[in-house]
Amino acid sequence: MSALRHPVLRAATRIPPSYVVFIVLLGALWVLKPAMMNPNILGTFARQVVPLGIVVLGQLLVISSRSIDLSAGGVILLVNYLISSGLLGGIDPLAVIGICLLIGLAVGSVNGFLVGKRRASAVIVTLAVSIVLIGLVEYLANGKPPGDVPAFFRNLYNARPAGVPAPLIFWVGLAIAMSLVLSRSVFGRFVASIGSNPVSAHFSGVPVERTVVAAHIIAGFMSALAGLVQTASIAVGSVRFGPELVMNSIAATILGGVIFGRGAGVWGPFVGVLCFALLFVVMTSLGIQEPGKLVVQGCIILLAAVFYGVRTKVN
Amino acid sequence: MTAVPLVSMTSISKAFGSSLALRDVSFELLPGTVHALMGENGAGKSTLMKILAGVVRPDAGTILRNGVPVQMNSPREALDAGVSTVFQELSLLPNLTIAENMFLGREPLTPSGRIDNAAMARATRETLKQLDLDLDPGRLVGGLTIAERQFVEIARGITANADVVILDEPTAALNAADVEILNRHIRALKSQGKAIVYISHRMEEIFRLCDVVSVLKDGRNVATVPVASVSPQELIAMMVGRDIAELFPPRGDGAKSAVALSLDGIRLTADSPPVRLDVHQGEIVALAGLEGQGQRELIRSIIGQYQPVAGTVEVKGRRIALPIAPASGVRRMQALGVGFVPEDRKDEGLFLDLSVAHNIAIGLNSRHSALSIARRYRDIIQDAIKSMAIKVSRPSAPVGSLSGGNQQKALLGRYLALGSDILLVEEPTRGVDIGAKAEMYKLLRDFANRGGAVLVLSRETIELIGLCDRLYVVHGRSIVAEMPAAGASEHAILEAALQR
Repeated sequence: MSALRHPVLRAATRIPPSYVVFIVLLGALWVLKPAMMNPNILGTFARQVVPLGIVVLGQLLVISSRSIDLSAGGVILLVNYLISSGLLGGIDPLAVIGICLLIGLAVGSVNGFLVGKRRASAVIVTLAVSIVLIGLVEYLANGKPPGDVPAFFRNLYNARPAGVPAPLIFWVGLAIAMSLVLSRSVFGRFVASIGSNPVSAHFSGVPVERTVVAAHIIAGFMSALAGLVQTASIAVGSVRFGPELVMNSIAATILGGVIFGRGAGVWGPFVGVLCFALLFVVMTSLGIQEPGKLVVQGCIILLAAVFYGVRTKVN
Repeated sequence: MTAVPLVSMTSISKAFGSSLALRDVSFELLPGTVHALMGENGAGKSTLMKILAGVVRPDAGTILRNGVPVQMNSPREALDAGVSTVFQELSLLPNLTIAENMFLGREPLTPSGRIDNAAMARATRETLKQLDLDLDPGRLVGGLTIAERQFVEIARGITANADVVILDEPTAALNAADVEILNRHIRALKSQGKAIVYISHRMEEIFRLCDVVSVLKDGRNVATVPVASVSPQELIAMMVGRDIAELFPPRGDGAKSAVALSLDGIRLTADSPPVRLDVHQGEIVALAGLEGQGQRELIRSIIGQYQPVAGTVEVKGRRIALPIAPASGVRRMQALGVGFVPEDRKDEGLFLDLSVAHNIAIGLNSRHSALSIARRYRDIIQDAIKSMAIKVSRPSAPVGSLSGGNQQKALLGRYLALGSDILLVEEPTRGVDIGAKAEMYKLLRDFANRGGAVLVLSRETIELIGLCDRLYVVHGRSIVAEMPAAGASEHAILEAALQR
């Protein structure tokens, strides 16, 4: 009996669970609100999760390298503040984007240095960095209400070349790039090796420290990109972002079949993010308000954590 | 007179994943005997004893304790049933005192329900005295020497009032004087009618101490005989399953060629003497001696995994000062053509869930910048699989699905594919079956015959003698003797090690 169940169970745990969840949610929507099965509406909802999707691209990279990044919230907040406060008012928007991306790289470098070289705990380091950044923004804002986001960003966000929302195109492009990096480059081989066994990676000649640092730098860069998209989407500044974004990024990554030190696939987590988008559609169409959505999101994160436990045991 | 066996294990089988560790093994312990359990690494000795100690549960078979069937579901239950174990890997908690360790999980209580520290200390002191140890029960175990810890473990077994005591390589960390004390206590336990299982690789101890010997090979019973009725050679033949001379390929011709690798003036610790050794092209050289005398530290110094106080390494004429930075040592040496094959293929060598192809090609990929496109190296991988006769259905199969011997070959294949001309090999045949051992020896010898240089260390002295051209005997973190492997014996090596 157990001999029969075992391989089946194993095979089942190899498919990213996000695929299953996605199909279930799609089916639920089709039954409950067939009218919502409309590319335009779905596209708009998918556009909402693009910041999450971009953070996940960085998250899956660090988690595949046996680390974690909890600093995305702080980076996004700082980027949002810089753009909406008017602090960089007179500067060319492209230069503003450049500055924001540099900040992402810098935060990623600090994370990477502390985690990769100093061997500090990734959870504590990246969480502390995030707290520092949030405090910094509150200090800079000094109680003043944040201002508006320049029209340049809003126009980019609302553009729909060939009917597809621009942020969606941007996200898919980034995901393809990340997928190619992981499957084709030497760097991708390094990440897969470290994910499988960091000690073996070291003895094979893989530059483990450097790879972990690079993964964190890329994750910081992704956080800054996500911050830009997020800022453009809400069109106003904010001193609060839902802390659930970081947790959601971890949940989507785990739902996508990437667990600490295993996987390195892009499309599982990608669909995991789409699950969140669909979830919002389903809940909105059922008239569930913000608090209810938070409860369900939390449940999904719990589900991901349970799944992570099961899968680690099976393997 | 036939006494009821204290323990009788019948038809025990146990599999770990796809590999069978024990097949239909039976084992019987009579009161008042010291029973040696022998076999090569991976023969199943430890698994059998872990089953008796309740650490591992058998897939099949029965255990009778004084003639009554029992189930040992946990170490606790085994201890309650009077089976006490001193494992190879010490199981004391360093941050607790000796007394706390001795009574862990069965602390005596005062009437008010608090732990009776005074009673614990008193009982501990008495037990230690029985073992001629004058240790304060309040000392932290972390501050004890390895030998003292070993005795505390044994004392713990005695306080548990066990009448079956399992000693797994108890003398590996002891010096001659401590071994003598231990032997005295083993004899004392024996005279009290207890049964002692004695696992050791040291022939002399077996013949001095034990009454009966059981030999396991590849997870099966080979024989159980009175020690007095066999010779050491016969025992080895039983363990190996054939005449060991057949296992090893012929040695090199002994013609001196250029030095490929030399270590000079390496001092592993501030007070250890400097070490010097050379490995020539076409030569296999061993670091032999008792376990844990610094062989591993010496070999790992070369790749920056151990930081010696001073010294230099010379690779094909290029001098490198030690210590080398841990983060970059492996890469630096690989660039110079030095491959390091780590001891523990599962934890330090392979990526078990990744493909055979990835495992072999990762070394080659590591030579390139992270930004470049990863090549597939299909030809090199096919070549390696074919030339090393790695049994695998396709290169994309995960390496963890292979047998131990084939995993070991895949690991070696990674460093051969790199085009290394110097190999540093730890435990070349750990936990692989006898056929795979012979193949590994042949692969290493072929490598040497092509002009490669090999520095190897192993727990199995017989292996080093058969495989190598020359041996350095390491003792007390320095080299105490050098001898040709042809004509060397375990006895001669031990003698050289302990002469000082």
